[in-house]
Amino acid sequence: MRKLTNFMKQQSKQFASVVKHPYFGFILFGLILLFTLYLRSMGLVTISIINAIVMTMIYSIIALGFSLLLGYGGMASLGTAGFVGLGSFIMGYFSGVLHYPLIYTLGISFGVAIVVGLIVGFISLRIEGMYLAIITLGLGEILRAFFISYDKFTGGYSGRQFRNFTLFGNAVSAQAVYIIITVLFVLAMIATLNIIKSPTGRALLAMKNSDSAAQSMGISLLKYRLLAFVISTVFAILAGMLYIMYIKFSYAPDWNLSFSLNILAAVIVGGAQSIAGIILGVFTIFGLNLAILNYIPFFQNNSALMVIFNGVLIIVVVMFYPGGLIRLLQTLKYKFVLFIKKLRIKWKVYKYGKDD
Amino acid sequence: MAKMINRLILKYRIFRIEKLQAKQEFLENYRDIQVFRQDKLLLSATNRIEETHQEKLRGFALRAGITTKYIEQEIKTRFEKAETKHYWEKRALNQIMIRKAKTHKLDEAQLEVIRNKKLKLLDDMLALRKQKITASFEAKAKNPEQAVALYENNSLLLDALFEKKTQVVKEKYAAKTAKIETNKKNQLERIAQNIKNHKDMIGKLTKDMPKNDNGLPEDVILRLDKLTMRFGGLVAVDNLTFDVKQGEIFGLIGPNGAGKTTVFNCITKFYNPPSGLMYFRKNLVEVILLNEYPVHKIVKQGIVRTFQNVELIWELSVLDNLLVAAHSLFQTGFFGQLIHSRKLHQEEAVLRKKATDILAMLGLLPYQFVIPFGLPYGILKKIELARTLMVKPKMIILDEPAAGLNESETVELARIIRKIRKEYNTTIFLVEHDMGLVMDVCDTICAISFGKQIAIGSPKEIQNNKIVRDAYLGEE
Repeated sequence: MRKLTNFMKQQSKQFASVVKHPYFGFILFGLILLFTLYLRSMGLVTISIINAIVMTMIYSIIALGFSLLLGYGGMASLGTAGFVGLGSFIMGYFSGVLHYPLIYTLGISFGVAIVVGLIVGFISLRIEGMYLAIITLGLGEILRAFFISYDKFTGGYSGRQFRNFTLFGNAVSAQAVYIIITVLFVLAMIATLNIIKSPTGRALLAMKNSDSAAQSMGISLLKYRLLAFVISTVFAILAGMLYIMYIKFSYAPDWNLSFSLNILAAVIVGGAQSIAGIILGVFTIFGLNLAILNYIPFFQNNSALMVIFNGVLIIVVVMFYPGGLIRLLQTLKYKFVLFIKKLRIKWKVYKYGKDD
Repeated sequence: MAKMINRLILKYRIFRIEKLQAKQEFLENYRDIQVFRQDKLLLSATNRIEETHQEKLRGFALRAGITTKYIEQEIKTRFEKAETKHYWEKRALNQIMIRKAKTHKLDEAQLEVIRNKKLKLLDDMLALRKQKITASFEAKAKNPEQAVALYENNSLLLDALFEKKTQVVKEKYAAKTAKIETNKKNQLERIAQNIKNHKDMIGKLTKDMPKNDNGLPEDVILRLDKLTMRFGGLVAVDNLTFDVKQGEIFGLIGPNGAGKTTVFNCITKFYNPPSGLMYFRKNLVEVILLNEYPVHKIVKQGIVRTFQNVELIWELSVLDNLLVAAHSLFQTGFFGQLIHSRKLHQEEAVLRKKATDILAMLGLLPYQFVIPFGLPYGILKKIELARTLMVKPKMIILDEPAAGLNESETVELARIIRKIRKEYNTTIFLVEHDMGLVMDVCDTICAISFGKQIAIGSPKEIQNNKIVRDAYLGEE
């Protein structure tokens, strides 16, 4: 018996070292999401929940890139929708219509992402704050107008359907796409965490807090602004590619300002500096109506009220919890622990009396 | 053409030497950390072995059922446990009696009777428990002599095993540390040889080459030559010329609006002065023109500055603030950072140790994981000072270090400034309004008024200078 307890003690130490590893949460989350797919194949989960999960994952990838820009670099951009649309059309056209190998498509889209990111980054050097948001908004609208008018490539106002994606010569099923999206989502979370916890993340924060201090410590504003924009654009274009692989339909007028604003809202509602918070925010903005509100009779009858629910939520969170929903959860957890401690002390005093 | 090539080769050699020196420093620090970690691992391993050894001995003793000190100890601990349990039960009984008295409205005598009854019950319980414990151990100690022999035999074996195990572990770790040491020695020797070779080559190259020091004497580290800075029609700095010598504490004073901070901003290239040259001695053979460098490359040349209003990163802890200051020392590229490569971990470990050392020197260690927002002003100023020390600067520029400090803090600041100059072998260039501190600490003082230099000299000369007095107090 004693041997067994000793063994358990040692094992628990090792187990703790695994659990405390920063990637553990992400990988566990990914595994749970994959398990949901298994439940779906058994018929225990409805398709709308799977859709909600996929949308949350895809939009979370966009929001992760955006949070590096907003939460760490302190730069607001409203051109996100255009980049996502660009990714979706590039992937759809080159991989779905022309059937290029995957590597070529990836090369083309990342090349485009880097070029676009560099352009916006150079603009951002001279302009800050609200004006940067306005200029990137203009850029996004230019991209949308381009999608609508260039209908040979995108289908214009009628949208375009892309089918028959191939991966290494095989046709891709919806389940394979789900797995690919989950894996890339976990990788994106890990990459974001690594960037945040490295000299680059600290340099971005330094830039946000004080330009002059950052420069005097050897941080080049040009380099890091460009880097932030390039990373966020690459994430957005990657998300666009995953979107077209899952939905198989891209409608050019959809990539408009309201989409970009929704991403901004998701990042702010969740908490701009926490990865868990961003995913929570994306879920509340994009996945809540698909996963939960659809099952509430009141919202089934008045489906227009879902948007109003979202709006009220945003107002409440921004007014009372500027740190985001994640801050709310953290304070709740803290208060719960305190409450349990107090309860325990009260029970002791009731049973044994006060100490002398 | 040959001259050009020679100069290029020289530049390359100097660049290599700098890289090698950085590597040398990294190796020294990182190997130390590694050896320290090995020691820690050894300690924990031996502790673990000892623990299991004691556990096994205890098990043997109990199983053999002998009446040695082990059984006595065991009985003692179990008795203690029973007694504490008894104590808490008594306390709980007390509470119950109080509640009963309230609800059933009993008087003292009745209460006493019930309490005594229950107390007696509890005492009986304790006696019973103790009896059980002793009985269980007596049953085990039936045949003492045989058991003792068995136990001793077993324990001898176990001791031998234990010693053997610890020996093996110690040898393993000794081999590891020896390997690390020899590795370090070899690498350092190779690097030292390389540096020596480069230096020899530089000596050969510079022998028949005209010196590239722009006429700067060897003991001067910074020279401003007719520096002028204009904002529109306002001339903030007007034809300012002075030398800062190597290793001295140089003070720049002047009334409000004299252009002192503007001079600093020109040197660190926050402003681009329209005319005037700034020479800086980067190393023994190279003198650079600061006008040619952008802001973020100044720190790599060896000049660090602090700010008049504290400019920290409020969202990062104090230790992370110091790591931001060491940004130019990181050699890992972006992809290394993306996957958190091993080199990044090693570099971070070294820089973290350096940062904690600096914080310990300045007495800031309790604040290392605190976010600086809301800390007292004196401590914020110290953190800024600590930040400048991360990069081993050749010159530290302090912009009003004593602003907002009280008298005792100012005295401490003077002590710290002297200490830094001595330990880090740097030049310190400061602007200050607190005349006590300036006169106390500076070797040379330059007084300016409306951007023009009015006097330069030792503190005494400045104190007795009539023009300076007029500038500060107004003419009579």
